[in-house]
Order: sequence, then structure tokens, then C-alpha cells
Amino acid sequence: MNTAAGRLVRTELTLMTRELLTVIFVFVFPVVTMLIIGGSFGTRPSAAFDGVDPAHWYVASYLTVVIAATGLIMMPVHLASYRERGVLRRFAAAGFPRWSFALAQLVTGLVAIAAGSAILLVVAAPVYGLPPMHQMARVGAAFALGAVAFVAIGVLLGTVLPSARAAQAVGMILFFPSFLLGSGGPPPHVMGSALRGIAGYLPLTRVTDAVRAPWLGTGTATGSLIVVAVLAVAAAALAVRRSAL
Amino acid sequence: MSEPNVVTVRGLRKRYGDRTVVDGVDLDVAAGEIVGLIGANGAGKTTTVECIQGLRRPDAGLLRVLGLDPAAEPERLRTMIGSQLQSSALPDRLRVGEAVRLFSGRDGADLLEQFGLAARRRHAFASLSGGERQRLFLVLALVNRPRLVILDELTQGLDPAARRSVWAAVDQLRTDGTSVLLVTHELDEAERLCDRVVAMRAGRVLESGSPAELVDRHARATTITFTRLPGPGLTDTGLTALLELPGVTEVGQLGGRVLISGDRTAIAHVGAALAQAGPVPPDLSVRIPSLEDALLDLLERDARADTPHRELTGVLR
Repeated sequence: MNTAAGRLVRTELTLMTRELLTVIFVFVFPVVTMLIIGGSFGTRPSAAFDGVDPAHWYVASYLTVVIAATGLIMMPVHLASYRERGVLRRFAAAGFPRWSFALAQLVTGLVAIAAGSAILLVVAAPVYGLPPMHQMARVGAAFALGAVAFVAIGVLLGTVLPSARAAQAVGMILFFPSFLLGSGGPPPHVMGSALRGIAGYLPLTRVTDAVRAPWLGTGTATGSLIVVAVLAVAAAALAVRRSAL
Repeated sequence: MSEPNVVTVRGLRKRYGDRTVVDGVDLDVAAGEIVGLIGANGAGKTTTVECIQGLRRPDAGLLRVLGLDPAAEPERLRTMIGSQLQSSALPDRLRVGEAVRLFSGRDGADLLEQFGLAARRRHAFASLSGGERQRLFLVLALVNRPRLVILDELTQGLDPAARRSVWAAVDQLRTDGTSVLLVTHELDEAERLCDRVVAMRAGRVLESGSPAELVDRHARATTITFTRLPGPGLTDTGLTALLELPGVTEVGQLGGRVLISGDRTAIAHVGAALAQAGPVPPDLSVRIPSLEDALLDLLERDARADTPHRELTGVLR
């Protein structure tokens, strides 16, 4: 792995662990909010939560908070900061292959999501217990496609927004409504029709639905899985083009 | 047979929208030569260099860099060039040693030692001073032992001590036989470091030659000034006779001060005449024009038709 691309991937992974914003939003925020929200509605199965234990409902939902934090906050801020300060030009001038930075971002984003999700499950297991996974393949596919989609969206935002500050502001504006309406907030059944309608259009809602329903056995969420797959392919294709050195 | 040029550029043109930034530039860098690309901001220096590095695709012209066409094989070429870019940075939390390993795959201990960064190996880029950052960029430009190094505004924003340490590093490159293309609008830097300078204005090459040649061609005269002392010393006749000395073109007086103009040889002849005439005036001073004087005069003449003098010199200074 001493090729230029390998060194770039390894360096980006190292730097990720030193970014305070990443540590807080990807590794700490989902765990803390899951512990609070997951314990707020008890453990008795409820119709508002598709007839399952509310704590389990949130454990199955919160993996996508990690995905959203990575794609909407970590990636755009990181990339916009590099563009703003001329780091990408320096990499390009040093002869790193055109595709190597896109690869490094994809790997870094996916590793951040995998690590954040692992931390979340390790903390959730002794507190709320992990709900049994009814359709593992579907959950795995939805999680992987959702992760790729949001990493790609993050790269796209980072290549469009003019500065790290702008990326942080826009990222927060996109993240919190997505978090509250599409994953970690109240269940759709208790939302008003207007909010539920808005939530239905959010990409994160589709990812959460595609992960949570087959996990808890409340449905297959095939429609959401297809939407997430299309989103992943389209966003990834655009992101690879936009992030070439 | 002479070694081919490291860089050959013929008729380079580059436009951004309807604005022509580089307009028919020719440029050569021979093996082991330090060439300075000089001119005011917006002269087209950086765009020219970015085309040479393969970072921008030219609209027209022939480019050969280390035998390669930068537009056709940019990635291969960039691994053969050491580049220090204007206005670029490294990730804040990347440590010095990690940066060297990232760019080269090795620890570069010898270069870090040579550039005084060995003790900063574990420090993050954000914690380095301006001079340390520029020295790190030089290390990164040199770590793969390139035959050609491109340095763009190398000492911009550095304090005098840091500038001198970076200049010493470039001198070392000359000793090692590395070719250097130095982009700068700091003319004292070009005069100090370059074997040859190429002056650009508005996307065109105005003039090229060694710093001394450009000064001789374009700068105003060397001037010698002193105050005539009462009593023994230079008489009125002696003063008039100075005009006959080799290299002297003009002798005049302003108040009590004598002003003599001429070429550099006049310095020796006037000095000898003053020493022979009696006590040497204690306020004797000589002003030899610099590359900056030469370039300002050249640019002023070139721009007189379309650019106000004050605007032009203001930009260059």
C-alpha cells in the first residue's frame, strides 16, 4: 500500500480521527441522542412505533444518523476546506492520480460510517439490547447503498460550496431537519400530515425506512431500497467526476 | 552535443472566457539553469507555469517539459517535477513527517535535516511558522529528487530572515545541478537567485536575459553623488574634467552637491580622480540601478501607450 493512492487513503483516514467536528458529529452525537431518545418512550411495543419496542425502533433507526452526519457535515466541511485552502491543487501538482482523492474520500466516509455505527451498536447492546435482524441481506444492502449515497452527496456538497464555513452552515441546515424528520426524531405516525409529507421526500427518510423495516420485520421497504440505490449510483457518478484531481 | 532544454515553450496561449491571459509566450529552461519569470500581478506568470505543470490545458502552443507534453501526460509529468504552488496549503492536522511520507513514500530525514525541520517532524502543519511552512513546501518539492523544480512566489509573506534561509536553499539547488523555474514579482529575489530572467506583461514576454544584462539594457545610469568640501579638494576645473573620464556621461551640481551619471566603469574612474584631488568627500555615495529599476523603466516604456505610470508601478511594487 505504498502507492500514491494508498498513502493518500491512509493519510485521510488518520486525519479523520483528528477532526473534532467528525469525532463529535459522527461518533458522539448519534450515541448520546440515541441514549436519550431511545429511553424516552419505554420498552413496551407501541402502535406509534409499528408495534415494536420503541427503544429497538430507535436503535434500528440511528445507524442512519451516523450516515447523515458523515454525508451532510463531515464530508462537505472537509472537502470545502481542502478546496478553499488549495490542498487539492497541491495534491494534483504532486502527481497523485486523478481518481485517488475520490477513492480516499469514499473510503474515509465509509470507514467513518462503519466505525460510528459499530460504536452505536456497542453502546446500545447493553442498554437497550439489539433487536433481532429479520432480513439481514436487505438491511446490509440498504445500509451500504445509503452510506455510498450520503458519502457521495457529501463530496458533491463539498465541491459546490465555496468555503468550509459555508459547508458547515449548509450542512447543519440539511442535517438537523433530516435527523428530526427522517431518522432520530418522532415516529412518522405521530407527525402531522404536512410534516409526514415533507419527511417522505427526504433522502434520509428513505434510507432509514430501507434499513429499519427489514431489520424489525415490519416490512420490506422495497420502494425505499430502489430509491436509495438510484440515489447512490447517481450521486456516486457525479461525485467521482467532481472530485477528480 | 548540448543537453536538450528541460522546458521548451513556443507560442503558448491561454484564455479565460474572453480574456487572454497568456498571449504567445516563448520560454526555455536549460538543464541546471535557474530561470526567473517576473512581472506584475496578472502578467500571466502563474498561468504559464500551470500549463507547464499540466494543471491547465493551453489553448495553443507547443510545450515540452522533460521530453513530455504536459497536456497529454500530466500525471506522469507531475511525478517528475517538484512543485511549490502559490496560495496552497496542507491539511492543518497533517504532521511534518507525515507530509513527507505522503508525498514520497519515504521519511526524507536528510532533507528535513538540511532545511532545519528535523525537530518539527511531529508538529502539525497548522503550528508551523510562515518560514517553516515554505521550507516544508521546498522539502516536498525536492523529496522525489526531481530534475525540474517550479517555485511560485516562494517567499511571499516571509520575514527577511526566513527569506534568506529559503534563498540559501535555492542556492543549494544550483549547486546540485537542479533546474529551477522561479515565478516571482519580488525583483530583488530574481536578481539574487536567477541565472536568467524572463519579464512578462499582459500575457506577453517583454524581455529576457541575465539580471545584469537587463539592468545594462534598460536601467537608467549609475549615479555618484558627494558634497564639495571647502578648502583643498576638487577644483572647478577638476570638476569639469570629470566629464572627460571613461564611462561618465553627465556632471551637474544641485545646491552644494555634485551629481555624476554614467555606466558602472565610471565608479572606478571618478573614485580615483577624487582620491587624487585631495580628501575624499565623506558623504560620497554610489547608486547602481537594480533589476527593479530596469524592469520599472522597461515596463513604463512599454505601458506608456495604454497604462498610467502610477498604476503600473504601484502594482509592481
